[in-house]
Amino acid sequence: MATTTAAVTLTSDLLSDNMSVSASTTCVKAGTTADGLTQMEYGYVEVATGDEYDLIATTPTASKASKLYVKNHSTDETYYIAITQNTQAIGRLYGGDWMFIPADFHDAAADIAITSNGGTNKIEYALFHEGTVLVTT
Amino acid sequence: MATTTTTITINSTDLLTDELSLSTTAALTQAGNSTGLTGTAGLARKKTGNTSEYTLFAAASYTDDKAHKAYLKNTSTTAAEYFIVEVAGTVVGRLYAGDWALIPWAADTTGTNCDIDITPSAADMTLEYMLFTDE
Repeated sequence: MATTTAAVTLTSDLLSDNMSVSASTTCVKAGTTADGLTQMEYGYVEVATGDEYDLIATTPTASKASKLYVKNHSTDETYYIAITQNTQAIGRLYGGDWMFIPADFHDAAADIAITSNGGTNKIEYALFHEGTVLVTT
Repeated sequence: MATTTTTITINSTDLLTDELSLSTTAALTQAGNSTGLTGTAGLARKKTGNTSEYTLFAAASYTDDKAHKAYLKNTSTTAAEYFIVEVAGTVVGRLYAGDWALIPWAADTTGTNCDIDITPSAADMTLEYMLFTDE
């Protein structure tokens, strides 16, 4: 069994008292405590401004415990990618931002797409999942 | 100016042939500039009394198409318990026991309101959450 851990630390001086939040999770299969996710896709793409691109198509098995990490490596703070799923806006990742979200892929329209804005965005991504539905040739 | 930083570290010694060790830090800044985010809602916990859908953050309450970020954590220790996380009525994913997420949030209100909703798989589950806002 593979063991993959994902940890986050949030620190901020936004409030009167300094805040520090930490969390760590072991990426395991849905409904289990020790059966780790054993498959992943890892990539890096450059997306020209205005282009929409399916970062992850809906091939991973639906309604599992898949996790998606995306980082925008652009150094220009005005550059961003718009994240959409099933054509609905989820959010924007500006230069330097990252996200780590659960990913469900519940139907054929649930691709996770990115649209590049401001310039060519450089995107790193990693999907940890339980398996894929292979497309027949 | 407020400074909020987020760091993620993903490690695995046995998922691939080579060790995976990935770490990155981002300062949370406003859309299109380097000024730190100055608004927050949370840190908070919500205990769900039943398996109904709850609206965690309503898009109409925030400026849309900014650089908001939402942090969510399922504090359950029961492996089968999860929250379904939806944005704008679209299921993003399932947050199982112990899982956390950092989600960029558009708070878009054109068409379907881009609310963040949660649906627990069991009664009496607890979600920890925080929103960093770009207002």
